[in-house]
Amino acid sequence: MTRALAFLIALLVCGSLAAQPAPFDMSGERPAEEPAPPQRPEAAEPDAGNAGRPAATAPEPDRSDEAFRRYIIPFRSLSLTGETDRRTWSVYLTPGQAAGARALTFSYQNAIVVAPETSLLSVFVNGTLIGEGPVQAADAPQMRSYALPAGLLRTGSNEIRFQVRQRHRTDCTIESTYELWTEIASDSAFISFGNGAARALTALEDIQAVGQDGAGRTRFNIVAPALEQPSRTAALMRLAEGLALFGHMPTQTVLFRQDLPAAGEPGELMVLAGTASELAPVLRSLPPEASTTPVAAFVREGADRAPLLVVSGPDWPGVEQAIEMIAKATDRPVGVARDVINTERWRLPETPQVLSGKRLSFSELGVETSEFSGRRFRTAFAVAIPSDFYADAYGEARVLLDAAYTDVVRPGSRIDIYVNGSIATTVPFDSARGGIMRHLPINVTLRHFRPGPNLIELEAVLLTESDRACAPGSAASPEPRFALFDSSEFEMPDFARIARRPDLAATAGSAYPYGGGRPIALYLDRTDADTLSAAATFVARLAVSGGRPIPIETLTSPLAAANRNTLFVGAIPQLPKALLTQAGIDTDSQLSWGNAAAGVPGRRTQMAFNEWQTRLKGGGGVLLSVEQWIKDRFDISLSSLQLIPSEEAPFAPPDTATLLVAQAADPTANAAWTVVTAPSPELLREGVSAIADVSKWGQLAGHISIYEPANDKVTAIAAKRLDFVPTTPPSFWNYRLIAANWLSTNILYYAVLLVSLATLLGLATAILLGKLGRRS
Amino acid sequence: MSKIVTLAAWALIALCLVALITLPVNLQTQLIASVLVVTFMALIKLMKAGGKWRLIALAFGSAMVLRYIYWRTTETLPPFNQPENFIPGFLLYLAELYNVMMLALSLFVVAMPLPSRPSRAATPGKYPKVDVFVPSYNEDIGLLANTLAAAKGMDYPAEKLTVWLLDDGGTLQKRNSTNLIEAQRAAQRHRDLQKLCSDLNVRYLTRERNEHAKAGNLNNGMQHSNGDLIAVFDADHAPARDFLLETVGYFEDDPRLFLVQTPHFFLNPDPLERNLRTFEKMPSENEMFYGIIQRGLDKWNAAFFCGSAAVLRRKALEDTGGFSGLSITEDCETALALHSRGWKSVYVDRPLIAGLQPATFASFIGQRSRWAQGMMQILMFRMPLFKGGLSIPQRLCYMSSTLFWLFPFSRTIFLFAPLFYLFFDLQIFTASGGEFLAYTLVYMLVNLTMQNYLYGSFRWPWISELYEYAQTVHLLPAVVSVLANPRKPTFKVTAKDESVRESRLSEISRPFFVIFAVLFAAVLITVYRVYSEPDKADVTLVVGGWNLLNLILAGCALGVVSERGERAASRRVKVSRRCEFAVGEEWYPATVEDVSAHGARVQVYGLPGDGLAIDTRARIRFEPYSGDGTPETLPLTIRNVEVSGDLTIIGCRYTPEAARHHSLVADLIFANSEQWSEFQHMRRYNPGLLRGTLWFLWLAFYQTSRGLTYFFRSMAADREARATR
Repeated sequence: MTRALAFLIALLVCGSLAAQPAPFDMSGERPAEEPAPPQRPEAAEPDAGNAGRPAATAPEPDRSDEAFRRYIIPFRSLSLTGETDRRTWSVYLTPGQAAGARALTFSYQNAIVVAPETSLLSVFVNGTLIGEGPVQAADAPQMRSYALPAGLLRTGSNEIRFQVRQRHRTDCTIESTYELWTEIASDSAFISFGNGAARALTALEDIQAVGQDGAGRTRFNIVAPALEQPSRTAALMRLAEGLALFGHMPTQTVLFRQDLPAAGEPGELMVLAGTASELAPVLRSLPPEASTTPVAAFVREGADRAPLLVVSGPDWPGVEQAIEMIAKATDRPVGVARDVINTERWRLPETPQVLSGKRLSFSELGVETSEFSGRRFRTAFAVAIPSDFYADAYGEARVLLDAAYTDVVRPGSRIDIYVNGSIATTVPFDSARGGIMRHLPINVTLRHFRPGPNLIELEAVLLTESDRACAPGSAASPEPRFALFDSSEFEMPDFARIARRPDLAATAGSAYPYGGGRPIALYLDRTDADTLSAAATFVARLAVSGGRPIPIETLTSPLAAANRNTLFVGAIPQLPKALLTQAGIDTDSQLSWGNAAAGVPGRRTQMAFNEWQTRLKGGGGVLLSVEQWIKDRFDISLSSLQLIPSEEAPFAPPDTATLLVAQAADPTANAAWTVVTAPSPELLREGVSAIADVSKWGQLAGHISIYEPANDKVTAIAAKRLDFVPTTPPSFWNYRLIAANWLSTNILYYAVLLVSLATLLGLATAILLGKLGRRS
Repeated sequence: MSKIVTLAAWALIALCLVALITLPVNLQTQLIASVLVVTFMALIKLMKAGGKWRLIALAFGSAMVLRYIYWRTTETLPPFNQPENFIPGFLLYLAELYNVMMLALSLFVVAMPLPSRPSRAATPGKYPKVDVFVPSYNEDIGLLANTLAAAKGMDYPAEKLTVWLLDDGGTLQKRNSTNLIEAQRAAQRHRDLQKLCSDLNVRYLTRERNEHAKAGNLNNGMQHSNGDLIAVFDADHAPARDFLLETVGYFEDDPRLFLVQTPHFFLNPDPLERNLRTFEKMPSENEMFYGIIQRGLDKWNAAFFCGSAAVLRRKALEDTGGFSGLSITEDCETALALHSRGWKSVYVDRPLIAGLQPATFASFIGQRSRWAQGMMQILMFRMPLFKGGLSIPQRLCYMSSTLFWLFPFSRTIFLFAPLFYLFFDLQIFTASGGEFLAYTLVYMLVNLTMQNYLYGSFRWPWISELYEYAQTVHLLPAVVSVLANPRKPTFKVTAKDESVRESRLSEISRPFFVIFAVLFAAVLITVYRVYSEPDKADVTLVVGGWNLLNLILAGCALGVVSERGERAASRRVKVSRRCEFAVGEEWYPATVEDVSAHGARVQVYGLPGDGLAIDTRARIRFEPYSGDGTPETLPLTIRNVEVSGDLTIIGCRYTPEAARHHSLVADLIFANSEQWSEFQHMRRYNPGLLRGTLWFLWLAFYQTSRGLTYFFRSMAADREARATR
């Protein structure tokens, strides 16, 4: 009875899911030599013995430890697409959770065109296959539950991998492979436990086990009764940073409040921050030592005995000390660049960071040797670059490919490489006779690289004669056609390094220029819960990008921000006009943004005018079509041929946007100002928590970025004028590469320089030849 | 001091430019820069701006060439671990580097050629004593008689001028040869030449043994003579009357001067010019060398001795022990030795001799093989780059002159490189279509424009490529053999008095047809692959286009090796000179239309031509340039008669009876040097890159069909010959 109920619930939950591609796509063919699956799944039947407790208790508000489950998917949903795909990440488990884990349960649904007999969905935990089965849930979600053998899970990070091999039922075309998908609902995938200690958080490290809710989100609820006192803001921000760095989850939100809510949901951590006397009214079980000494510890509170993190002390400096206990634990030394960027909670292996020319083998990057028998092979790896990376215009990385293909692969087959979703290169297979490529160099433009982790996908599109004929049953031939070897390498050349201002991509990617370890200034227009939450979520996200807590000093007046790297957070009506002007935001927006009725007439005209202009451009004259042809063919636009950059017009955010992040140099041009604003404090909080998602955070770029909730999209406006900020000791070779990138961006300058220098040389040669040798 | 400052400033600017050129900018930047630079070059060229503008245009071109090389080096080489691609790819790269190096050297040499010197006539009364050496080995006596007569006829005080015939064909060694026929021939020659010399009042000199070829012969001449200056003329190079007056003056000006070289002007076309019929309208191949390169060398005091048509100082030659004979190009080697001893040379840009060049393709190749092998020997034995005593510009000049002869290697590689891709699918040049456009095409365009800029009116577009290709086929083995065995080649005298009576294929034409067939097959493969592999069509088209260019050259060369037949036994020279003609007693007004070493064609007015029999004796009467204005008479025999209205055209043969008659023949043939300059200037104009290219395409098309026609005709003839046998 209970089992049936659980199944029904699972069905309802999964059925409501839409097939949305997840932000990161990672694929991989399962190595052929892998051992046979140790266990066949019992489809749709969660094993009661392994799950330990009847699943039916889950939906009830009973918060007992036994019903506790850890959701495991760090995304809104997990979508595995194409003929081969995999996703790997890690889940942090406390000692109690590691010991008590009983089963991993999830439910999935797949496209109707997936052929069950040749498609396979496998789940690995810590590298061990815990179960696999055919992909056969075309009509309705199907639940699977695999027992977790004792001793498989460890305290700390545990690697989880979902891997799929899918084949089309009837079609053999490349296009058909795009129709293949398997989707796992985040709220259906969890680890269940068999002992009473699973829920308990005891040590501070256990903050890492905060996990995520059924939608892949993580929230830190900070209860600070005295949050409205501006003097406390800096320490509270630091607390948020410390928590975020501990959690290190892909989507983390910080929410400030003054009262204690009912109970913690999954993926939420309740934190109480305040002096002992402030907290006493809210919390019955406040540790008594809090009135004498700084305390940062977990307590259990309430009927469900949910863990609460108490950060307290006898007075505010005592609380600050307690906060520092958390923040200190997440700090790292200043002046040492990270070798790897920690992305393990949403992507494994962790992303190596390249600071200069470097070769990384595919095995280091987590790409395994694999053989492939389908049509479209896809695999991915990630590489991070620093915030002062300046080679997007000229640079080319290289993939040195070790691969092989058989003689059935027809000419026209190719390898495509994508960087952050944009195609970077296409290489055709040369030979119709099969071949082995040994370190075949493939140039990959650095154009789509951005500071922070970058996803590089390698796709082999394989055409064969048998696919063209597509005889019944041939769609799933097990004969390998293509092999990729992990001895392949990714080679990053030495690249130019210089930071730019403004550059939101650098800020998003590695918290530049705020992550240097020196205190930054924070200005809030007012210290209410919404604004504080927004600021804390933003700062916490910055801290995660920068990999260390950022020391904060609050400013009471925007005037004090001159010459300092400052973060301004507030609703737009309250922000000073001078600040908006400096940041390149239209000051009329203070009245009009988020208030459609109050549109400024002049701006309307301008918008309509612009619209008409674009509309007419579509029709085009001869000149325009020539321009278009040049643009299509050589990627040269007339605007890139300007010698003097056009003036930056003040930006007026559209009404569809609810959040605006702008960056500009301060009036002294010595520091960067970043403004985070929205029409109202509520929208500000919501907007910031929306962009704190790792996928949208990575889209922040340029001079201004806006977030539009309607299509859940971040749009970036590039800066027209940039200041350069040296980040490395002066060196000729770096300057040379900087010049190369600058001239590749301002291409007419190069031509003009070349012509002038050549003219000079010609004249100098004339003079020189007049003096040398015999004269006429 | 100001020289050093200027040099430093120049080096600084060049360094900045190189730094800019070696920036790894993206393709778009390169494309825009190329468009701008090419536009500027075209503008400068269209405005025909010279002087500084010429150097600016060359700087533009050099910048684009360097960009190409930078890109070629950093981006396009196949990976090292694919030897099947890397090895041919690297060879191609080396060939291109060689071409760019030669371009750089020639830019240096001809950056600012000295303008033609104003005439420097010898000061009357201070004439130095001159020995004229005419070395001979096996040349025809008639030819020698003309040359000796012309040498003897030069305007110069007779007591200061001694003409020597240095006969290596009649040496004691030859006369005592174990081969009876050879010995008899040598003895006969010895006697005949002695007789001729005594008739012409010329000194005859021969020696015991044929040691050290031409250099040894000249050194032997030096030992027997004592003039201050030595003028050298090849047996077929007849000097104009003012030769000495125009050259010896320079020795007065500079006591360290060892050489005054003048151009070689040819009365007959070389086999390419003859077979392509370009002699009358296009500048000859050697005009680029004598018209520009020697002037450029002269700027750096590096004009070198070309074996003939030059005056040398005895004292200088004695300084290095006479003419050097280590290599088979004794002339350049001698100049190198003297330059390295601090002696100076001067080049006079005015044709003062007229000569003959090889008539058949085979002997043309023989001559070029000697030059190529000799220059390689100099490169290896004398190492001009490291030779002490030379100035840096001189070293570069000599390197330019010697390294030039490595062109068979690069030409061969360019010829076969596209086939690697078309036949074997090897990727020896990794570039995309866009990159090819922005770098390679621009490089080629800029390179052609620069060549046209430098040599435009002396060398039409694609002619250099044609000459190089035509020589490469047979020169490559020659150069390889001299590199493998530097001391092996021996001096071979180029035959210049041959003639082609019947249209036929050259005896060494076979490889040209084989190559043409292979390249043609590659064109078919290109078409096939464009359709069968549409994904790679862009690369296939680019490579196929390159192959097509090779095919066009190879096709044109088929015309080169298809020798056109000529009626006359030896080359005819147009003269158009007034004279009077007589058979018997009556003189008729007439014009000498053209002349050869053996005879002349005369247009006579009013002579009844019907009654004239072959072998009738006749006479012409004309005013020689060398005489005092009174007409002189030259005896002839009639060989053929053609009547058209009032005009009778008579072909006749000279029958010289006295020494003076040889002088008259020389006077007819070698007339005066003004005519030669006029003829050269008439051909010297620049058709421009576009028109020149179109013209060449037409020429190539026509010559391909002519070559193929000859080929099929010869096959048919072979079949017939076999059938009759």
